[in-house]
Amino acid sequence: NAQTFARGQVPQPQRSEQPSYRSLDQVLRDLEKRHSVYFMYHNDKIKSLQVQYQSRNGEGIEETLDRILKANGLEYKKHGKIYAIFPKDADANSMRELKQSLRQTQLPPANTVPANAESSLDNQPGASTISPGSAPRVINIRGRVTDEKNDALPGVSIVLKGTQRGTTTNAEGQYELEIPDESISGAVLVYSFVGYASQEVVVGGRTSIDVGMQVSERGLDEIVVVGYGEQRKSDVTGASSSVSAREIAKRPLVRVEQALQGTTSGVTVSSSSGQPGRGLNVRIRGANSITGSNEPLYVIDGFVGGNIESINPNDIESLEILKDASSAAIYGSRGSNGVVLITTKTGKEGKARVNFSTWFSKASIPRKLDLMNAYDFARTVNAQFASTGNAPAFSDQRLSELKASGGTDWQDELHQEPWIQNYQLDVSGGSSNVRYLFSANYLDQPGLILNQYYKRTTLRANIDAKLNDKIDLKFNVAAMLPKSRNNGYSGDLVDPFTQATEWDPTSPVRDPATGQFIYTAPYGSIQYNPIARATNQQFDNRQANVTGTAILTYRILKGLSFTTINTYEIRTGFTQNLFGPGTSNGVLYAEGNASRGGFFQNSNFLTYKNTFGDHSITLTALYEQQNGNNTSINARANNLSSYALGYYNLSLGATQLTNSGYSQDALQSYMGRVNYSYKDKYLLTAAVRTDGSSHLTQKYSTFPSLALGWNVANENFMKDSRVFSDLKLRASYGQTGNQAVGAYATIAQISTGGPQPAYYYDGSTPSVSTPLGAPVSKNLKWERTEQFDVGLDASFLRGRLTFTADAYKKNISDLLYNYQAPFYMGGGDYLRNIGSVENRGIEFSVGGTPVSSGKLRWTTNFNISFNRNKVTDLGGLDNVIVNGIGSAGNSASILRVGRPLGEFYGYQFLGTWKTSEAEEATKYGMKPGDAKYTDVDGDHAYTAADRMPIGNGTPKYSFGFINDVSYGDFSLSFMFQGTHGNQIYSQTLAYLWGGLGDQRNATTQEALNIWTPQHETDNPAFSNTSKNFNNSSRYVYNASYIKLKNVSLTYKLPAVVLNKIKIRNLEVYVSSQNLFMITKYPGYDPEVSNGFNAITQGLEMGVIPNAKTYTAGLRLGL
Amino acid sequence: CQNLTEDPKANLTPGTYFKTQSDLDGAVSAIYIQFARDGAWGFTNRSTSYFGSDDFTTDPGLNKEDFRLFDRLSGGSGNGSMVAQWQGPWQGIYQANNVIANYAKVNSTEEQKNQSAGQAYFLRALGYYYLVRTFGPVPVILTPIDVDDRPDRDPIEKVYEAIIADLQKAKELLPVKFDNAPGKADQMAARSLLADVYLTMTGWPLNQASNYAQAAAEADAVIKSGQFNLSTPYAQVFTTNNGPESIFGLQYNVNGGLPLRSAGSSCVPLDEVATNGSSGWDDYYPEINFYKKAPKCKRTDDTFYTTLKLRQPDGKTFKLVPWDSPETHARHPYYKKFRAGLNGDGVSETETAINSINPSTNKVYDIIRYPLVLLAYAEASAMSGGGPTPASYAAINEVRKRAGLPNLTPGLSANAFRDSVVYERAYEFAGEFGVRWFDIVRLQLLPKIVAERSPEENPIPANTNFAQKYIAPIPVNEMARNPKWKQNDGY
Repeated sequence: NAQTFARGQVPQPQRSEQPSYRSLDQVLRDLEKRHSVYFMYHNDKIKSLQVQYQSRNGEGIEETLDRILKANGLEYKKHGKIYAIFPKDADANSMRELKQSLRQTQLPPANTVPANAESSLDNQPGASTISPGSAPRVINIRGRVTDEKNDALPGVSIVLKGTQRGTTTNAEGQYELEIPDESISGAVLVYSFVGYASQEVVVGGRTSIDVGMQVSERGLDEIVVVGYGEQRKSDVTGASSSVSAREIAKRPLVRVEQALQGTTSGVTVSSSSGQPGRGLNVRIRGANSITGSNEPLYVIDGFVGGNIESINPNDIESLEILKDASSAAIYGSRGSNGVVLITTKTGKEGKARVNFSTWFSKASIPRKLDLMNAYDFARTVNAQFASTGNAPAFSDQRLSELKASGGTDWQDELHQEPWIQNYQLDVSGGSSNVRYLFSANYLDQPGLILNQYYKRTTLRANIDAKLNDKIDLKFNVAAMLPKSRNNGYSGDLVDPFTQATEWDPTSPVRDPATGQFIYTAPYGSIQYNPIARATNQQFDNRQANVTGTAILTYRILKGLSFTTINTYEIRTGFTQNLFGPGTSNGVLYAEGNASRGGFFQNSNFLTYKNTFGDHSITLTALYEQQNGNNTSINARANNLSSYALGYYNLSLGATQLTNSGYSQDALQSYMGRVNYSYKDKYLLTAAVRTDGSSHLTQKYSTFPSLALGWNVANENFMKDSRVFSDLKLRASYGQTGNQAVGAYATIAQISTGGPQPAYYYDGSTPSVSTPLGAPVSKNLKWERTEQFDVGLDASFLRGRLTFTADAYKKNISDLLYNYQAPFYMGGGDYLRNIGSVENRGIEFSVGGTPVSSGKLRWTTNFNISFNRNKVTDLGGLDNVIVNGIGSAGNSASILRVGRPLGEFYGYQFLGTWKTSEAEEATKYGMKPGDAKYTDVDGDHAYTAADRMPIGNGTPKYSFGFINDVSYGDFSLSFMFQGTHGNQIYSQTLAYLWGGLGDQRNATTQEALNIWTPQHETDNPAFSNTSKNFNNSSRYVYNASYIKLKNVSLTYKLPAVVLNKIKIRNLEVYVSSQNLFMITKYPGYDPEVSNGFNAITQGLEMGVIPNAKTYTAGLRLGL
Repeated sequence: CQNLTEDPKANLTPGTYFKTQSDLDGAVSAIYIQFARDGAWGFTNRSTSYFGSDDFTTDPGLNKEDFRLFDRLSGGSGNGSMVAQWQGPWQGIYQANNVIANYAKVNSTEEQKNQSAGQAYFLRALGYYYLVRTFGPVPVILTPIDVDDRPDRDPIEKVYEAIIADLQKAKELLPVKFDNAPGKADQMAARSLLADVYLTMTGWPLNQASNYAQAAAEADAVIKSGQFNLSTPYAQVFTTNNGPESIFGLQYNVNGGLPLRSAGSSCVPLDEVATNGSSGWDDYYPEINFYKKAPKCKRTDDTFYTTLKLRQPDGKTFKLVPWDSPETHARHPYYKKFRAGLNGDGVSETETAINSINPSTNKVYDIIRYPLVLLAYAEASAMSGGGPTPASYAAINEVRKRAGLPNLTPGLSANAFRDSVVYERAYEFAGEFGVRWFDIVRLQLLPKIVAERSPEENPIPANTNFAQKYIAPIPVNEMARNPKWKQNDGY
């Protein structure tokens, strides 16, 4: 049975610290515990070497290894936390020489080693690579083993299956193995290495076999970041998921959140808008807060609350998603939405490596809405007018002209198909004392509509220095410099994107006589020409965001270390806006806004780690403080006398308005944590965090958590299981909070500035206005989430199949809601703890390697998450009205006890009254062809009392399905992602029917299919007795979807070719994102909505959809 | 260690406020803004529930559902634009309560403090007056209350008591006139409003005939002050600001972010397109029979817009057609008096062409014009004294004279005289701020005006219970926020 071991299986009693010879195996095991690293070596040979070892306080692992290994003719190679140990020259002869030399130079005292060292070595199972006497005829097989990046993989164990015969690869990943000739026909070589999936390769008469190893999906021995420390994945008691750099590299990502989409169970990511540079909605286990953000807390290299936009996806080494309360509770009042821990890459020891990658994408809007051409539109307007006895708007002559010309297709005028480009360059390397990584990235992403872009430069330098035996210093500095134009359309009635669906197709874009924009049209929308608005609006934003993080680790004593993380971030923003002629029928203006924010975090923690017999314990104690401030100044000029200078000269304004703001806040925290494990089988994690915040009247809150784990696979009765290779059961409980309370929320304020900063008693002299602001609740508390989680991690068939399942229940109490005050209290919103919500869910993740033979390998992962929520308490209020979206201000949602969040509330549309129902319709004051709704209270009138639940924006489940198929140098990846059971209440589609808000006439092609006595459809006829409710189930659509999120085909140039041209790695790929979707939703994109919180999710108005893209790219390594 | 105490350096708080007269001035101007802004009385939304009146109707199709439903006496509590009628006054009252609760502690002269408080009392009364007439019983809140308080609706009598108390107080505290600040409510504004309030109280639902005398007395005081006259030609009243008949109006300033949008585009026919491409919104216009029954006079010519200008395909020339031409969309007359805004900053036009149509204008919205006081005096003096006096006739004839009408037939009975005054009010204030609607309400005229309604208008459902249509429903969301409230009957 060929095996490599990452660590000793049987804990050994502690030895005294006397200088003495001990087995290398034991020494390494001690080092593993001490440094949280793992060794891997071909167990048969190296483990019983006797070495002289004395621990030295404060010595780094690599120094220790240099001392004890290199002197003994061994080498090591580091792979993250794993050190692979192998002889300097792994062939059989040198191994013999090594053994000889070991005997001669390091003969231990007779009482500590067997009398005959050579025989003890040779008697080790599988020790001899070759025994010349036992096999007269042998075949020599050579080859090279590489990792997933095509880099040499040293220390890989290669064993002839069914025998003890084997070897390991050297520093270049090369190996050489002799096998008996008679076994050649059926010979199978097993390649194994920790963290990678074992591979079995049939020799089949070959003498040269190159193998590419793939990272194991099983990964139970991975080291994972857990917040203020690291753990072996097998010791983790909470529910967490990881996304590796490798997964990130598969797609052309512009935002980090995209890497989470579809890749992890329990995490639902939706791209809320297709605007360039926009963030995504990330929900970990459903929505918790109905007011505050539901976005997880991002911790970037220890910086709690870092800006996710500031991270270049290419700079990420790993993402850990902490899902249950026990893992997230160490972040206390900010942990309730889950936590995403981001670790950026560090340089690796060795000569400089240069990586360059680039990609180009052609993006387009995935679909157009079916809108009427000018002729159909004009005919429909005439029909609408005729139905109310009005004269036709378009004469027959005009109709025939329009029929001939076709009119304006506003969607085509506004939409565009841009090229997106991305360039990434990084250089990394280092010596044993200093390692470095420098990275630069440039993204240029024009929008899907006119005059819109996002351009981002990110720069990073990560330096890791070993200052002395006891102190390590890590210094990361990153700058993000985004620049954007007009990418802030929130999705609204007046946005050009919405207007392009509502504008009159009979109107040209520009007046043919003057060449000037036509700003308004008599039919369709009363808003402004979308092309004029998109062109004459300039909303230009530039930011500079610089973050410096210094992490110092001081190893005080054996097992005891102190870490301090200090981050300072400067955020500056500079915005210049111009709303020139044709952008709005309100006040036109130009303005400039400058803001500067500073943010400081200081975290200090002591970690004590030790093992006492079967007991392993890690203690962590933390003190952390943060403070931040933001200052802004705004200068605005209304109604400029000339717009020729754009926003550059504000003194042209008829009125100048200035504004400024300042806010400051602080947080102070204490946290203690115990990690305990007994025999690696029974695991316990307990933590308590106390947060003190400046935002609340009662400053301090405490958040406890407890988690238990049982590594069943390590029990004796499971040792021989052929089914399970791993099995772990987990249970946890924890409390977390949500800081959905901004600075000064408990202090009543006099509001100043705003849209109407002054009153004019004589019509011209401003008299400053200082209204009393909205009322405040004095006794605000954090939202508190209590979460129970049970889960299991299992792997079967030696890791070829893995399975993770979790079930949870969350109670969110003291729910914060931006409650609208009654108008007799000013009508403003005030924060209030209004009640409780419960979330329950289950999530599964199944991974496996269905095919792994020869050159073909297919790995797959499917994950699915179910979440249900309901309001359990509203503190005595029956109904809580949810304010609507956009300028339509429609209250489409309501909160009610026993009902889920995000429920749409309105009139149930039943189609039309049919001719056969004329009598019944009359009771409602209606006639056939008019809209028919459910009459809940049976009073023969459609009143507010007839509103009812008409849908919900939250998915019943969401899933992702990822596949990687590689064949030789080609690999194909594809990922499907989708949600089911969610609905969209689309105001975009509602307005296409006309008669709502500012939209006068219908533009949808469906309006050609309205009810007539001859053809009784369910599209109401034009009528002045019909009722057209905006918040009606007529505009609620099934928004379940499956998207092919990504498909990519990569070709990696073979090593032979690369060696000739002296290139380490070269890959080219083509890919497509959102290539197709399956959905019944008739709008642009079921994934987007205006809703940013749990109750407005699924409300949609004029949101730009996610692009469909075709990408080509390359990755080059030198 | 962190200091966790908050110090909002850039925000005024009640602790750092109400120290000086200028703090007080800022709080007072905040009240005016609540009434004046878009979303309150700055836009047509203000009139949603007044569409039941005969001086308002709207497009039968298009996007005017909110107005159209009230035009058809079918409005409901979910009506989105009606919310403005509730919101604006309440937000003004909220700010007024803030001033009234705090003005005394300011370090300033008594005179200045009284002037500030007087305006707050006036504006609070104005808010309640519109609320009680539009929605019926509402809670009377006269001091700042706790954020979680949900007071009951108070009876209508109690609301009027509060209005009268506030206006009496305002009358006492305010100067006769503010120099150089025509937008500030002065003692004459308070008296004028008081006259209107007393007159209203004589009708439905209070029916307190005893108030005629008080109405007459207050109106008489304003007339006798000699501060106001009707020397401005009628048409010019609507194109200039703060003339000699303006008693109280909301002031607007487009550049300052405070535009009036009830004039300009809102009242322009859909069919009209200016040479620069801008077009009308067709939001509101008079009912056909309301126009047809207007007295023949200069005022009527200046009020109604009856010849539409249709832009021709060349984009420059206009074809003039009468309002009932089959070439027009709605076949209704429109309002001329609201078109121009201030000197044409709404619609800029000549007799034969329209240059531009703009929804944002600097026109003052007159809430109390002198004719309102004259006609209140005329009606109240006639009704309190058992018949019109010479002074009653003089008051109405002053209005008629400027309108281009002969003096009213002498010797009318009290009721006939009252009806003549109401008729006069309908056309003097056609389309203005619900004046006509509130006459319909206080005199319970719905059956009469519905009977006179042209069949061309938006149909009123046959089973409509007119008695329930004089007050509007409380907006549905506000009902949800006040679980103890009962909705008005019929909604």
